[in-house]
Amino acid sequence: METKIPFLEVSDAIVMSGAESLYWCMQCGLCTGSCPWRLVSGEASEQFNVRLVQRMGQLGLEGFESENCLFACTTCRTCVDRCPRGVDIISNVRGMRSMLAEVGTIPASLKPIVGSLHSQGNPWSGSREKRTEWTEGLDIPTFSADTEYFLFVCCTSCYDIRSRKIAKSVVKALRAAGISFGIIGNEESCCGESIRKVGDEALFQKLAESNINLYNGKGVKKIIVTSPHCLYTFKNEYPELGGKWEVYHYTEVLADAMKSGKIKPSGDSIGRVALHDPCYLGRHNDIYDQPRELIESLPGSELCELSRNRKNSLCCGGGGGRVWMETKAGERFAELRIAEALDAGANILATACPYCITMLEDSCNVMGKSDQLKVMDLSELVAEKL
Amino acid sequence: MDQNIGVYMCSGCGIGEAIDFDALSSVAEEIGVSRIVSHECLCGSEGAKIVKDDVASGSVNCVVLCACSGRVKSEVFAFDPMQTITERVNLREHVAWCQPAGNEDTQAMAEDYVRMGIIRVQKSTLPTPYQEALEKTLLVVGGGAAGMQAALDAAKAGYSVKLVEKEAELGGQMAKWHKCLPLHPPYHDIEEIQISSTIQDIENLQNIEVFKNSTIQKISGAPGMFDVVLNNGGGTHRVGSIVLAAGWTPYDASKLQHLGFEKFPDVVTNVKVEEMAKVGSLTCPSDGKVPSVVAFVQCAGSRDPEHLQYCSAVCCRVSLKQALYFKEQNEETKVVIFYKDMRTPEQAEEFYKKVQKEGVIFVKTDTSKISVSEGSEMKLSVEAMDELLGEPIQMEVDMLVLATGMQPAVLDDPILNLEYRQGPALPALKYGFPDSHFVCFPYETRRTGIYTAGCVRQPMTCTRSKSDGTGAALKAIQCVELTSQGKAVHPRAGDLSYPSLFIQRCTQCKRCTEECPFGMYNEDIKGTPLPHPTRCRRCAICMGSCPERIISFNNYSIDMIGSMIKSISVPEEYEEKPRIIGLICENDAFPAVDMVGLNKLQYPPWVRFIPLRCLGSINLVWIADALSKGVDGIVLFGCKFGDDYQCHFIQGSELADTRMTKIKETLDRLVLESDRIRLEQISIDDYYRIPQILEEFTSKLEELGPNPYKGF
Amino acid sequence: MGDEDQKILVVGGGISGITAAVEAAETGANVVIVERNPFLGGRVAQLNQYFPKLCPPTCGLEINFRRIKNNPKISFYTQAEVLSISGKPGAYSVSVRVNPRFVNDNCTACGKCAEVCETTVPNEINYGMDTVKAAYLPHQMAYPFKYVLASDIIGTDEAIKCSEACPYNAIDLDMKAETFDLEVGAIIWATGWDPYEAEKIGYLGFGRFPNVVTSVMFERLAAANGPTGGKILRPSDGKEAKTVAFVQCAGSRDENHLAYCSGVCCLASLKQATYIRERVPDSKAFIYYIDVRAMGKYEDFYTKVQQDENVSLVKSKIARVSEDKESGGLMVEGEDISAGSRVRQVVDIVVLAVGMRPGTAKIKPDMEMAYDDFGFVTGSGESGIIPAGCVKAPMEVAASLQDATAAALKAIQVAVRR
Repeated sequence: METKIPFLEVSDAIVMSGAESLYWCMQCGLCTGSCPWRLVSGEASEQFNVRLVQRMGQLGLEGFESENCLFACTTCRTCVDRCPRGVDIISNVRGMRSMLAEVGTIPASLKPIVGSLHSQGNPWSGSREKRTEWTEGLDIPTFSADTEYFLFVCCTSCYDIRSRKIAKSVVKALRAAGISFGIIGNEESCCGESIRKVGDEALFQKLAESNINLYNGKGVKKIIVTSPHCLYTFKNEYPELGGKWEVYHYTEVLADAMKSGKIKPSGDSIGRVALHDPCYLGRHNDIYDQPRELIESLPGSELCELSRNRKNSLCCGGGGGRVWMETKAGERFAELRIAEALDAGANILATACPYCITMLEDSCNVMGKSDQLKVMDLSELVAEKL
Repeated sequence: MDQNIGVYMCSGCGIGEAIDFDALSSVAEEIGVSRIVSHECLCGSEGAKIVKDDVASGSVNCVVLCACSGRVKSEVFAFDPMQTITERVNLREHVAWCQPAGNEDTQAMAEDYVRMGIIRVQKSTLPTPYQEALEKTLLVVGGGAAGMQAALDAAKAGYSVKLVEKEAELGGQMAKWHKCLPLHPPYHDIEEIQISSTIQDIENLQNIEVFKNSTIQKISGAPGMFDVVLNNGGGTHRVGSIVLAAGWTPYDASKLQHLGFEKFPDVVTNVKVEEMAKVGSLTCPSDGKVPSVVAFVQCAGSRDPEHLQYCSAVCCRVSLKQALYFKEQNEETKVVIFYKDMRTPEQAEEFYKKVQKEGVIFVKTDTSKISVSEGSEMKLSVEAMDELLGEPIQMEVDMLVLATGMQPAVLDDPILNLEYRQGPALPALKYGFPDSHFVCFPYETRRTGIYTAGCVRQPMTCTRSKSDGTGAALKAIQCVELTSQGKAVHPRAGDLSYPSLFIQRCTQCKRCTEECPFGMYNEDIKGTPLPHPTRCRRCAICMGSCPERIISFNNYSIDMIGSMIKSISVPEEYEEKPRIIGLICENDAFPAVDMVGLNKLQYPPWVRFIPLRCLGSINLVWIADALSKGVDGIVLFGCKFGDDYQCHFIQGSELADTRMTKIKETLDRLVLESDRIRLEQISIDDYYRIPQILEEFTSKLEELGPNPYKGF
Repeated sequence: MGDEDQKILVVGGGISGITAAVEAAETGANVVIVERNPFLGGRVAQLNQYFPKLCPPTCGLEINFRRIKNNPKISFYTQAEVLSISGKPGAYSVSVRVNPRFVNDNCTACGKCAEVCETTVPNEINYGMDTVKAAYLPHQMAYPFKYVLASDIIGTDEAIKCSEACPYNAIDLDMKAETFDLEVGAIIWATGWDPYEAEKIGYLGFGRFPNVVTSVMFERLAAANGPTGGKILRPSDGKEAKTVAFVQCAGSRDENHLAYCSGVCCLASLKQATYIRERVPDSKAFIYYIDVRAMGKYEDFYTKVQQDENVSLVKSKIARVSEDKESGGLMVEGEDISAGSRVRQVVDIVVLAVGMRPGTAKIKPDMEMAYDDFGFVTGSGESGIIPAGCVKAPMEVAASLQDATAAALKAIQVAVRR
């Protein structure tokens, strides 16, 4: 075995890059043991040991840089919730990634994403002008001083054809509930949550600054978001940069509307619905009840809980930038999720996050289960019954 | 006193159904007891009143209660031991509850027990307590954390204390330190050492006399009457009991050459770091510069078969504290701690966490295998296997601190210099610590009236040492109080008996002086034992050891047990009813036999149990008495011995075992099978084994056939 | 010390409280103990053996009970609790409630009531792993050696039946709770500890899988007078266990549960590993730890257990316990840090080494004592209320008793004039 020489100046730099709790870690390994990568096989499962990664960080050592090691972390937050020392493991991962991002050594698959975000303000290589393409024919109002809520639609649901259905359903449901909302339009940029997790701090700062200036300029006070990722960064990361708004996930708004009787779903019985708690809605933002309330209010619905639910929910595999990276079929968390939903006897697997939809639906198709199980966003379920 | 014996028989709890009471009464009558009462519930108010009235009227001064175990209902039958001799014959747990009812063998058993109970009383006299040791002043040896606290707390309770400190000032090791561990929530910050106020308190208290620069030349005497001679003309002082709080010495770092000590000037000990910190200059000895990288090596000489096998308990916390010294001196200093296991128990986990948050780096490794060599630019190169990384690492550091462990101060110096036949030191348990062997009795030592506190007892923190000093002071006070009343201390606390020796018949064989676990006997030049009754713990091991049978107690003697054995009826050979004597420890085996009854387990009816203070009090003559009477077998139940002995008198059961080995050799020579004697180690919760042991022993005896001495 | 001295009240009749009481009384003080259970002895009465000697706790309890029986200066109340305290050091008035036992001092423990009693109640001494007759002796070595009637049957025919079966008029169904004041000079607070609620650590499966037990339950499984007669059997199917996993720091050293180290669990698990090893020759024990904390000479015990090749010590914090429904076996998973591999071990029983919470985390006397964030009493009784044992910090038995002895002197300083 080669003797390693710790480089403590490097660890200092990692700490400075956001890994503030790096040294709090006592190396118990609960994070590694709790990591969803332990549930699958493959390269990332073998290579990514978040405890060891942090150990290398503590000593300023190299060797964790690959796509299937440091960049495997989906920031699902299971380990953070359990960590006995209160270590902010996600920030430590982010800090270590940003050390690499600074010198441009991020995985190749992420480079086009970064490029697109720089040039177009979205990660999907869509042109800025087409950000509002999904609104065609919907006559969606533009946000103005008289509008209560600014509706921020996730880039994914702006550009991805499948995901646009989420944006449209959210709009339909909000309208039905009589909520005053509007979009700003093509000037909007990606919230930057995932790219920050990937480690490109400078890019995040740029995106955030642009959004904050835009929204503040328009007089935004309250925001409804379609993705829990946007929710997370608007709520938790933007305030210290000057973006201080009331931010809601659409499930919160719709659950309220449902409770107060503003919308009343009706129609055919919907059957057995399983809920996949998105990491960023649940563990990151502590929203568990509203999605369930929405399901239960649907005609003839039967909520069936997955074996891993609420705080113990299993990640879809799309967070932390993984949505832009390839995970081999047979090694994906989403496959376990589909299997769990089938085990639970569900005919619909519902969730409330564009990344989760992408990951789960893809796996459902690859597994050839799309005839037995439909992957749907909660907004779609609700909109269908209005 | 003239004995007026009353025998009170209870037929409750199923005893009456099991045993024929008329026949039982005639046993007592035959012995000449005139007051015999039977009652269906002796412990009830009506039954108890009969006994109490008899005692109150003075018509009875020896009470033999033939009922349940003496372990129960003691509150009902509590008579003044100075006025009344009380004996409990256990017909319930030991007969009715473990034998078939109405059977002649059950009856014979009950009759034997009643006979033995009456004889036990007949062979007893009222106690005449030894009340000649009246001194209540305490001696505290050592003026460190534990000793000062012991002195203070004893003085605050109203006792006079003589505090002896070898150094010129009080304070001990603690006085040499810069700061101490966190004491207050949230347990994050190291704290100033509050020592001057303690010293002030001691000096202000009138009843503490401090002897600085003083050591002990010798201590003679016994609890309540120790004479302490100080060196250098410090005079002679009489004290009643002693707290030994002599503290610890650091492990000799010169034995740690493998970690670079003495090879490299910048390899220092944790003791040195305290000294440096106290003067405010944590610098490299080689060049006087402030180090930028400091490493600590935990377990330097601890938890190491080559050095100290034990864990010194505080070094992890001390290194955390010292890491903060370096951080306080210069925030930028890098600190690395190489450890085997981080041992920060209890709330100290919070301190560990706090030090982690200061950016200290921890490396788990077998620290005995760390290699230290010369690095670049006067630095030290440290190489270790990082078990967390799974790979070896190498670092250059400016200073390497060895976290050396603790050794008891009494390791090479007895300190107390006791004038005891068994030696000048307090016997050590392991690694030189005169600690208690007992989980339940942390202040037990093998020298009555001498209690240890602080790190001389076991490695511990300052806080624990103080509390330990308080506890030891309590025990020392308790000892002088009990001793002045002529009472024994733990484990037979309150026992008013003590051994008397018929010295004219002594042959100076020295067995008693050697075997007493507590060093009760000194010797004169001829080897005649000189008893010191207040050192005695009343185990009667000396009584068992004496071949001349000259040692006895007012209520426990060779004659007494011998007569009880002889009173057992031994059937003729043709009756095919063997007899087994069970000599059992009253502390563990006796309650275990009670448990057999409580669980309604049965065992062969041939056994007669006799409780002993300790199996070590067995005198070989009893075995001879029993065998010559025709008893077929003798079973001994004693506590577990060996390293984890459970004997409350240290070596009692082991001594009994040694004696039995000897007697077995004799038996073999007499062509009497040595298998007729069996010793079993019985814990109190081993009750379920007892019937099985007795069954097996009975079949063994059947195999051997009857004792050929039967009927002689 | 004389009759004018004030009494010392000891709250808690566990091993710390008993020790404080007998040590004070043998020094000459008058002492009264108030104990919540119907028997003295507390948690140690539920232990099978002590580390490191592997000796039975009943041995020391027996000696201490004898010291109490022989000493007229000690009195005690069982099934009793302190309601309030007023006054000041040297003159406290303590309101005490004694709950009814429904059995009086006439009881001889003959067992006739239990013979006729048909109702059973969960056996508290065995942490509810089995049941006991509603007329019961708390345990075989119980002191006081008297039966108890479970309040569950009071007012039923069953209770009357028990009462009628008693030959000694020992059952008093009209017994009521009694409240009275004790005037004392000093108070020793020794209310001990409670095991951490293991079900709060969801991923370890306690409460979901029957074969996941806590360390305190495992003591009972190993005890000759426990629910299995001392055989270590899987709770799910009564099959003899051959493999046992010990999960250390189950709740301790964890900010989400108990942030402090419970101090004794490492040694307790090493001890419990010997239980299974001693009983079943081809058994295996696995101990999963963060750090093994065997302080002082306890290191010897660690070394001794470590030498058994069938005891594996693995540096791992267990992250998942799952059940194989068919075999009832449990899989423990985590990272094996030293080996650089994964732990995936199938075992019969998983023992969670649960931490200690101070009795004062739940019930705090309303005056004079200060507490840290965890509920431990801080300080050493600078006033007249003196903490002793595990209410101050997690401690093993020997340390608790050392501490209790010290507490006795602190109390004497306040209560006894000399």
